[in-house]
Amino acid sequence: MPNFARLAQRGSLKRLTSSIPPQSPVAWSNMITGMNAGGHGLFDFIHRDPKTLALYFSASRVEAPKHAIHLGSWVIPLGSGSAEQLRRGKAFWEILDEHGIPNSVFRIPANFPPVPAKGQTLSGMGTPDLRGTYGTFSFYTDDPTAATGAVEGGQVIPVQVENSRIIANLIGPDNTFRKGSPAATEPFSVAVDPMESAARIAVQGHEFVLREGEWSDWVKVEFQLIPFFGNVKGMCRFYLKQAHPRFQLYVSPVNIDPASPALPISTPSSYSRSLSEEAGEFYTQGIAEDTKALSDGVLDDKEFLEQSRTVLAEHRRIFDLQFPKFQKGVFFFYFSSLDLNSHMLWRLIDPEHPAYDATLSSQYGSVLQEFYQQMDQVLGEVLPKLDKHTTLLVLSDHGFAPYRRSFNLNTWLLNNGYITLKSDADPNNNEPLANVDWSKTRAYGLGLNGLYLNLHAREREGIVTPGAKADALLKEIREKLLAVRDPKNNLPVITRVDFAADVYQGPYAHDGPDALVGYNRGYRAGWKTILGAFPSDVLEDNTNPWSGDHCIDYALVPGVLLSNRNIAAEMPALTDIAPTILAEFGIVKPKNMMGQSVFQPNIARR
Amino acid sequence: MASPTSIIPRLSTLLLGVLGVDLPAALVILLSLTIGLLMVMVFRYTSDQKAIRLAKNQLKAHLLAVRLFQDQLPVVLSSYGSILRCTGRYLQLAFKPLLIVALPLTFLIVQLDRYLGWTPLPPGQAFLLKARATSPDAVNELSLRLPPEMSTTAPAVHVPAENEVVWRVVAEKNGEYNVIIGVAGRTLAKRVVVSSGLSRISPIRLQGRFWQRIFVSGEPALPENSPVQSVEVGYPSREIKFMGFEWNWIWLFFLLSLVAGFVFKSVLRIEI
Repeated sequence: MPNFARLAQRGSLKRLTSSIPPQSPVAWSNMITGMNAGGHGLFDFIHRDPKTLALYFSASRVEAPKHAIHLGSWVIPLGSGSAEQLRRGKAFWEILDEHGIPNSVFRIPANFPPVPAKGQTLSGMGTPDLRGTYGTFSFYTDDPTAATGAVEGGQVIPVQVENSRIIANLIGPDNTFRKGSPAATEPFSVAVDPMESAARIAVQGHEFVLREGEWSDWVKVEFQLIPFFGNVKGMCRFYLKQAHPRFQLYVSPVNIDPASPALPISTPSSYSRSLSEEAGEFYTQGIAEDTKALSDGVLDDKEFLEQSRTVLAEHRRIFDLQFPKFQKGVFFFYFSSLDLNSHMLWRLIDPEHPAYDATLSSQYGSVLQEFYQQMDQVLGEVLPKLDKHTTLLVLSDHGFAPYRRSFNLNTWLLNNGYITLKSDADPNNNEPLANVDWSKTRAYGLGLNGLYLNLHAREREGIVTPGAKADALLKEIREKLLAVRDPKNNLPVITRVDFAADVYQGPYAHDGPDALVGYNRGYRAGWKTILGAFPSDVLEDNTNPWSGDHCIDYALVPGVLLSNRNIAAEMPALTDIAPTILAEFGIVKPKNMMGQSVFQPNIARR
Repeated sequence: MASPTSIIPRLSTLLLGVLGVDLPAALVILLSLTIGLLMVMVFRYTSDQKAIRLAKNQLKAHLLAVRLFQDQLPVVLSSYGSILRCTGRYLQLAFKPLLIVALPLTFLIVQLDRYLGWTPLPPGQAFLLKARATSPDAVNELSLRLPPEMSTTAPAVHVPAENEVVWRVVAEKNGEYNVIIGVAGRTLAKRVVVSSGLSRISPIRLQGRFWQRIFVSGEPALPENSPVQSVEVGYPSREIKFMGFEWNWIWLFFLLSLVAGFVFKSVLRIEI
């Protein structure tokens, strides 16, 4: 990576302390606001309502209208629905706006819906698909052996091939104008050639032909909610995985159409339309790489990589169009490829990983490097345009580590007597923590790193008295967690447990978990324990393609910070980035911002 | 002297720069204004202006009577009857000139639609070519022969349920080409326009069906006894950008020509 090497040589390269916990929404919120989770209120990908234990996405909430009139099978809303951003605190570009500094912020995570801004912003990670999820694919097949129904990241839909034709429905958003809010659907047809591996697909008057193993361009779809009045526009991509002998068609999550966004995704609101006119259609969902389709086995590595490369190509196309327009102020651009591909492809470079496959590794083992090289090319476009008055910051919000073994925190808490299950537990109830006997439960885990006490007056059926008793309980659990060893290799599974009271400052410091579990390199919270389930084993191999991770001990996965200027700070942190940007324009940082400019001599740093 | 082909891009650039509209939009605006003027002029010389004026005045008088004498039921009812009668009279007077305007206008729109309804295929962009046979047996016999500048980018898709074969084709460079459909030892040609400019487009070549051909095809009919019913090229439909919206040209044309007609009618004092 010659350009990164050149930048490090001429300027600075430092490790960048990530957030606690080092999860993307938390980390980017630290970067955006200059505060930790106590200040911006994002502690994890998912949060829980302590009174109901209902889980919700931490970064945003999309709500239907509160009041409505019911007329037969129709529901007439009184008022409009809303999309609310749950990150608190001022974004650095809001402060720049107040001081008249022009700025453009592209796809920064944890900014959906985008906060009001004078400049051009486009929302990134956290932006839902048209169904309001982080991305739900559809997979149509006539394979009778396929398990149909909902899978983790999508839906497997059985179809019948009759006279070489398939009629099926695209699944759109929930139709809140209908009683029970059934999903809006739009029919499409596929004609498969009886002999050749190709098919013609027709959707709403739009026709295209796909060969087996080929992706379509973006196809625009309108879902009718109320005949003649209420339509929602989206777009999706089709992939003909197999034409014969079994029909297999993948359809991407239906993305918000940037030309006619159903939810706010940019500032000004018309900006996404002009951007799509200029750069063509692009993924608008926050996590564009379809990691779930790979995890669910709907896409294989080759297919996932093709899709992932398309995402990066779209981002580069937008970057190549927008960066040359940057004259003064701040220009920020986020590339997701290194993060998502490291999550999915780590097993290809890690022979110790349970999902390592030597054949796949020989085929795709160099792909991660290829993505890094593409980032180097982007940097190569930027460096020649810098003048002596322009400051460049290149950063990652965290590093990466292998995710070889899963630790099921709730199972551990259960085995150690901190959780008690009901005597009449229903094994078929999949609701989070559904079978827990709260009258005898003292602590529980939710989210990737969160440990909560069942605190009296905070939780619905809290039994732990706040204060000294709660502190003692937390210390006891910490001691025991730090002592956990993996019987497979005798390595410590957890290397740190931070108490929220010690690491969070700000008005929301008490709204999150009581403790943050920092896993050792190679370990992470198991998939089911995150959502409050109790797998039988405390420790198990991770055979999921999602094989690299960073939601561990934050000290083990620092990010990197590069600049064309000398970084004076010995241990810069994400919370320093917003103060750094403000200081570059002579703006005094607000009092609630924790960090300081990384270019200023070191003071006592967090 | 500059040739028309060299003038069009220059005119387009000028329009883009001065008015912020491209050539097709400028053409629609110009045509709408011209047709709006022509329509009111034709209306004037083919209608009985005095009789129309009288009918409209009587209509106004009876409408006024309804408002003035709303407390006298017999007068109101009588006025309603007169309003209906005057409306009928007005429609009768307007019918002939409207018919004279509408017939040539319909054919004009059909012809203009050849240019403004679709955009030619851009080079390098795949498009669908569809041939529909008259019987299921003929579907498997359909074949495609392309000029050297074109190639298929996917296997042909046979759709027995619709007696149809679909090819995905791409053209390397601009030009007007004939693609050849072969069936049962016979060949049929279909014109394909690849261009970035404004061109006459015929999206479909049809067998028989005179009126359908008049309205949607700009090519000679396929032979009556041909096993091919139609050959169709998937040209992208054209959207005209105007006032921040994308319009089908016909809707924009109707709107602008109506506005122009009302303006010219007032300026020229024509009764419509």
